This record gives sequence, C-alpha cells and structure tokens, in this order.
Amino acid sequence: MNDPYQVLNVPSTASDEEVKKAYRELARKYHPDNYHDNPLADLAQEKMKEINEAYAAIQKMRQRGSAAQSQYGGQSTYGGYGYGGASAQGSPLQRARLAIQRNDLHLAEQLLASISDRTAEWYFLRGAVCMRRGWLDEALRHFRQACAMDPGNPEYRQALERLENSAQAYRPAGFEVFTSDCGGGSLCGGLLCSYCLCNSCMGGSFFCL
Amino acid sequence: MFGYVRPAMDRLTEEERSDYGALYCGLCHTLGRRYGPVSRWVLNYDFTFLAALLSGGLETEERRCIASPFRPKRAAARDPALDLAADLSVILAGYKLRDEVLDASFLKAQGCRAAGAALGGAFRRASQARPRIAESTRREMDRLLQLEREGCPTLDEPADTFASLLAGIAGEVEEPVRRRILHQLLYHLGRWIYLVDALDDLERDAGEGQYNPIFLRYGLTGGVLTPEARRDVVITLDASIRQMAAAFELWDFGRWSGVIRAAVYEGLYRVGNGVLEGTFHAAPRAMWRRGEKEHI
Repeated sequence: MNDPYQVLNVPSTASDEEVKKAYRELARKYHPDNYHDNPLADLAQEKMKEINEAYAAIQKMRQRGSAAQSQYGGQSTYGGYGYGGASAQGSPLQRARLAIQRNDLHLAEQLLASISDRTAEWYFLRGAVCMRRGWLDEALRHFRQACAMDPGNPEYRQALERLENSAQAYRPAGFEVFTSDCGGGSLCGGLLCSYCLCNSCMGGSFFCL
Repeated sequence: MFGYVRPAMDRLTEEERSDYGALYCGLCHTLGRRYGPVSRWVLNYDFTFLAALLSGGLETEERRCIASPFRPKRAAARDPALDLAADLSVILAGYKLRDEVLDASFLKAQGCRAAGAALGGAFRRASQARPRIAESTRREMDRLLQLEREGCPTLDEPADTFASLLAGIAGEVEEPVRRRILHQLLYHLGRWIYLVDALDDLERDAGEGQYNPIFLRYGLTGGVLTPEARRDVVITLDASIRQMAAAFELWDFGRWSGVIRAAVYEGLYRVGNGVLEGTFHAAPRAMWRRGEKEHI
C-alpha cells in the first residue's frame, strides 16, 4: 500500500484532528452520491477504498483501535442498484437493471426496447442508461416520468433530486457559484471582465476573442 | 469560434495565471509554426483548455510575436498536447466554415469561402497529420448537419455529435485509465460547449429562423426562454459541469490541476450565467477598457 499519509495528503506530523479533516474531505469528494450512474464509478470506488484503508492504517498506527466505525461509503453502493436477488433468468426489467450495473448499456437498451409495458421502473431504468451515456436532458425527462407515475418511490425521487439539485454534489470549500444563481451581471459578469490571457490585447482583440 | 471555456482567473495563483497565459501563447506559436500565420485566427480559449487537459507539464521559452514585438513573452515550448490542440483547432475550423457556407446567406457564404480558401492548405495538412481525428470530425459534423436539417427537437442528440467529437480526442492518450477519464471529461465539455453556444445564439436563431435545439426542445415562440425552460436548461448545463468535475477528481492533472479546478468548479458556471443573462459578450469589452487604463 502507498504511504497512508500521502494518500490523505497530510504530513505524518498532522494532528489526529487534521488527519480526520483530510479524510472527511476526500471521502466527501469520492462519495458514491457523486458517482451515481457515472461510467467512472469503479474508479471512484477504488479511490474510496484506498482512502478508507489509509485512514484505518493511520488510526491503527496511532493505536486508536477500530477505525472501521467512522468510515464513509460503507452502505451506499456506487452502481446505485442492489443486486436484489435478480439473476440472468429474471424479468427483462431485472436483467436491464443488472446490465446497467455492469455498464453494459447496449444490452440494457435492447432489453428496455423489448418491453412494451412502460412502467415507472422502465422510465427510471431508461433514465439511468441516459445518465451513463451523458444524455442528461433525456435522463431528466425519464426520471420525471418515473416520479410522476410512482411518486412514493424513494429510488426514483433520489435519482431525480441528484440530477436537479446542484447543491448536493461535492465542491471544494469556498466554491459555490451555479449557473442559475450567480446573481446576473454584477458578480459573475464583473469577474469575467478580468479575462485576457494574452496581455497585449491592445494590439488587437483578434488574438483574444 | 467558440471561446466559452474559461477558468475563474481570480481563483488562480499568480504562477498558475502566468502558466496558463504561457500555454495560450504557446498554442498561438504552435499554430503559426505548423500552419503559418493565417492559421492563428483559429486560436481560442477552448483549445487552450484542451491543451491543459492533455498536457503533462509545462516548459517555457521567451518569444516575441506580433502581439508583443519588442518585449519577449513567456510561452509554452513545443509540446505534443499543443500540437494536438492546434491540429484539432484547424480541422474543426475547416469543417465549421464548410457548414457555414452551406447554410449562410450569399454574402456571408462568400466570406466563409474566402476564409476557407485561406485556411485550405492548413486544413489539408492537419487532416493528413491526424487522419483518425479528421475522419471522426467529418462524421460528427455530417451527423450534426443532418440533425439540423431534420429539425431535431432534442438537446442530447445534436449535443452528442460535438461531445463525441471531443471525447474522441481521448483516443490519442496511451494510458487506459487516463483515457477513460479524459473521454468522460471531454464528452461533457463538448456537450456543455455545444449547449452554451446554442443558448448564446437562441435570440438570433429564433429571429432568423435558423436551427436551434433549445428553441425546438422547449417549443419556444421567440428568442426568450420561459421560466420552466430556463430552469431545465440550467439543470442540464450544471449536470454536465458536475460530470466534468467528478471525472477531474479521479486523475492527477499535475501542474494544470489549479486551472482545471477553477474551470469546472466556477469558471464554466460563470460563463453559463453570463450567457443566460446576456452579459457574456459585454464583459470582454469592459475588460478592454480597463486594460487600456492600466496600460496608461
């Protein structure tokens, strides 16, 4: 394993509190919630594992006993879908779910296309495929349809909320601007004003726009 | 051509700002060296950012140029990432001019033809240097043209053409994990650029009856977004930026981390907001005036 302090990006002289803070920040960054229906979820999962192991190793070195209790990412899954006993012999919807989990989007699309009875779950799974393909507007439409057909379903609602609500996702401390709310021209437009990479703009806007 | 991708400069350290400026200069010199001085007009911020994503580090040299003929400036030295960004700039400009000739009014078409002729040699050389990229660019631009002619009323389909085109650049990267991460990051960068550009052109396209996916997707009657359409456009733009940020966090971009972070956590949101509010194009002019005062 790599040096656990290096993994958490803290010096070995860091206090327990500093180590914990660094760990929490990284765990927030690679949390499954940020990589739902993301084709790179497996890489985030590896990162999370590395971070958890590093934190556990440091705690062990510092003889703080069991570290596992305070770790993140234990309950949520990166794929976002539990196996739920579905097998290759399951219904086409169950098989589509499994295919999405394996990131076999082509098969998932084929299975979904073969189903004529479009239930809330069908729309939800179709939305999940779109998310992974990066077709985010279609994903939004399908998730909304799933929620409209089955408003009480927490899985569908969470998927929709994750897509609609920017504020949920990880951002480094101090970054909080969104497209919708950075207050018109005053703040954001103003800061764009300082924009020029080529400091000889006087010579001609030609080079700068 | 585009020029929407801008890191939040005030989030950068002095050194990072200087590095990014040197990269921009380096891209300009690379264009000049590979394709002659005329090609330099295709230079823009988006391809500078692309070079930062593809580049491992930065070596600089002091160089004079038209914009700074007397005082040498710090510019990135030769770098394969700059070569790639320059080649793509020229290829894309060539296809964009071709498509504009097809759709433009007579006078504008003449202008595009002239520009296309001026760029012709550069375009042929770039296409020969990067046959795979030239081929995928042709394929995706043809697909986009087809969707435009059909009046495709979705956002994702036309955006997928430009997104796939940019994502294809990741194919030039050897290391498999880095390639996957860049593929995802570039896909959403391309998607975002396409949609922000459509948003920027909405009023003009609606007035001229030109194809605009946002106009058609929300069934608008003029060049102004309804509150619902505005909310949904913002959701979809922000979601692509978040996908870029999530991909960015999975790789160590070394020297360029600060620049990329300042784009995917703030710069792109600001630009999107500027376009949405109609202040984006006013800003550079204001900058110009302020620049003059500083120089005096």
